[in-house]
Amino acid sequence: MPGRITPRRPGPHRRSGRPRATALGAALAIVLVPALSACGGDAASASGDATLKWTSTYFPAHWDPVVGGSGAQFRELSLVYASLTRTDESGKAVPDLAESWEYNDEGDRITFHLRPGLKFSDGEPVDGAAVKAAVERAQKQKNSALFGDLTSIESVDAKGLDATVNLNQVDYQIPQLLGQRVLQIASPKAAAAPEKLDQNPVGAGPFTVTQIVPGTKAVLKKNPEYWDADNIHIDNVELTSAPDASTVVSGLQTGVYNFADIAPSQADAAKKAGLDVFVQPGFNASNISLNVNKAPFDNDKVVDAVRHAVNRQEFVDKLTFGYGEATNQPFPKGYVAYDPESEDAYPYDPAKSKKLLAEAGYRSGDIKLDLVIPEEDPQAEIVQSQLAAVGITVDIKIDKNWSTPFFAKDLTFSLYGTTGRDSAAQTLTAHFGPDGPLNLSTPYEPEGFEAAIAKVRQTPLDAPEYPQVLREATRAGLDSKALVFTYSQPNLIAKSKSVSGLPKNPAHLDWTGVTIGGKGAAS
Amino acid sequence: MVRRVLSLTSGRIAVAILAVVALLAVLGPLLAPQDPLATSDNTLAAVSGSHWLGTDYLGRDVLSRLLDGSRVSVLGALEVALTALAVGAVPGILSVYLGRVFEWVTLRLADTLVALPFLLFAVAVIALLGNGLTQAMLVTGVLVSPLFYRVSRAATLAVARSQYVEAALICGASVGWVVRRHVWAKVLPPIAVAFAQTIGTGFVIVSSLTFLGIGVQPPEPTWGGLLASDLGYLSHRPWAPLVPAVLIMITVWAGNLLADAIRDVSGEAGRALLKGRGARTGRPERTEPAPAGGA
Repeated sequence: MPGRITPRRPGPHRRSGRPRATALGAALAIVLVPALSACGGDAASASGDATLKWTSTYFPAHWDPVVGGSGAQFRELSLVYASLTRTDESGKAVPDLAESWEYNDEGDRITFHLRPGLKFSDGEPVDGAAVKAAVERAQKQKNSALFGDLTSIESVDAKGLDATVNLNQVDYQIPQLLGQRVLQIASPKAAAAPEKLDQNPVGAGPFTVTQIVPGTKAVLKKNPEYWDADNIHIDNVELTSAPDASTVVSGLQTGVYNFADIAPSQADAAKKAGLDVFVQPGFNASNISLNVNKAPFDNDKVVDAVRHAVNRQEFVDKLTFGYGEATNQPFPKGYVAYDPESEDAYPYDPAKSKKLLAEAGYRSGDIKLDLVIPEEDPQAEIVQSQLAAVGITVDIKIDKNWSTPFFAKDLTFSLYGTTGRDSAAQTLTAHFGPDGPLNLSTPYEPEGFEAAIAKVRQTPLDAPEYPQVLREATRAGLDSKALVFTYSQPNLIAKSKSVSGLPKNPAHLDWTGVTIGGKGAAS
Repeated sequence: MVRRVLSLTSGRIAVAILAVVALLAVLGPLLAPQDPLATSDNTLAAVSGSHWLGTDYLGRDVLSRLLDGSRVSVLGALEVALTALAVGAVPGILSVYLGRVFEWVTLRLADTLVALPFLLFAVAVIALLGNGLTQAMLVTGVLVSPLFYRVSRAATLAVARSQYVEAALICGASVGWVVRRHVWAKVLPPIAVAFAQTIGTGFVIVSSLTFLGIGVQPPEPTWGGLLASDLGYLSHRPWAPLVPAVLIMITVWAGNLLADAIRDVSGEAGRALLKGRGARTGRPERTEPAPAGGA
């Protein structure tokens, strides 16, 4: 699972790869584009087509899903690519390209049955061979960001419209895993030239690309060959890279866009502008990463002191404007993997924190830490201030090459934010597993976690004991001294009222049934 | 020259503004009414008696952060100007006297440096050496130095052809003596103009880098950084970016105004201008005696 820093940074310092330098260009775009585009309004275009004008914080740098990985930009790529499964409003895997699937009795083999008659946009058939090619490419392509997600898969056998996935362990999470996050399926013919695919995506999703300006804009049109085309009522999509946070609302007001993810600081302005503002459910969770292999975190009392020094509500109040929520685990409250029993573990208690530091032999100011982050982030300033209150001095260090030492587990102290995964087991192993990419303390893992996560994999998702087994794994993982979860950043969306409501699929943006200007596309 | 600059209204205004900015750089942290790094629950507060410029997104006092942040901006601009002066002016003068090889090499170097963009180069240096403003400003100073090189070289060339300088050299005077005795006085005014102008340029560069979050480690306040962070909360405090923006603008303007004033009072044209003003105001203008041997 590739690393993704906090999904949506509040305030002015938030976006990786698209910092404030874009402000001027964005401002010019806001001023000029409406004037030059015949003031198209915010609903259907002049031709009567329903056009989604989506400006996104996660405009894909790569259109090859294998290279893009399973991070937040999967939502944009899902416009083009379909998967074996997708998730419903409860987060459960439901049919997408595969109309059904079944496990063998042992639970170490699963066969997906694909819908008949489907084609990729280049005319290639969607069949078992395409699935096999997609899995093998994700496992073997040199620049794949997905091979860490597919460690349970031994091989894939293709036979007509069936794809049989052979596993190296019992794992009932596979339908959750092989959804839009991890296995968006590209045409094998197009994928034979991965460099070309990276800028000319060919999938079997609801839309096909007609134009891409790298890093800036993509134009898509409805794919009439999509298996659920009858329920896609959007004719065209104009996907653009979001400008600076402060100008997005202006763009929505003037009709340059009709759909955008926005920073919490902009929510009030968006509401005042008459836009629909809503929080799409998600699995976002931010955390402080500690390396217990390095001093001072090799001392359990220091780790506990940090745990008790964190006031999660301050993150919520100052960074989410009340739209987020405090969390001490990588799942939102109410989700099947959320463990209510762990809710009050390590409450905010600065007095206890100071006492623990004293017991560990540290006086106020003795501990000096570098908090290494990739870019300016108000979270870091809050951590700095909260730890200063208990006598730990934190220097914030911005390292543009942060990802290299972070994923090499060379850092002592850092921050991370995940957008979650559709498979709860995947989320847990990524954070708490001995080789989890988000476990800064590799090879450390909390006691009992490995057995607990194995039990999760071995439990069918529809088994009555599954929720309990999953929560026990979460509880075991939360014993980890390597992560202190802080808050959940909201997936805050602002849209024109002409765009109808979206299905509340957690962490996904599902365009099925969505209309623009009350118009349904001719299908 | 100082007296001549101060005799102009524009000179007095520029010096006054720059003096205030310099004072802020020295005393700003002491004048800050509150701890500029102390967060509070009172976020994005409006102007009030306890927070004259309100609070930012973490509840920190904006006035205190502005005062505290002036030091980084001023020191950064000075660093650019002084580096450019040292790296540019000395080779510029010496290129006239140290032979054709030195002249050719320094001219080509100056041509090369002119071709490099300040900001991009500063960002690249920071990426290479770490996120610190000092190294970025030093490099930017080197990139600005061709201005001083050319100005000082041009002024030196004009003097070097003078009969009194050639006479001094024929009489056995050393190059160093000639430069100190005859050249420096002629080169100083254009260098002073360039220096004042570079102060303004330095401010723009420091503010640009800190606006982009480059060169300083949070939560250290800077004028550019405050401007950037305020832009993210326009809907809450729409006036907030004006304060750091106006401070940056006025400081840059003052640097340019000072450069203009120095230019106006330099050389024969400047003296003539001031004489004219003296005649109009009835006050005689003092002029420096002409250099020995005449110019």
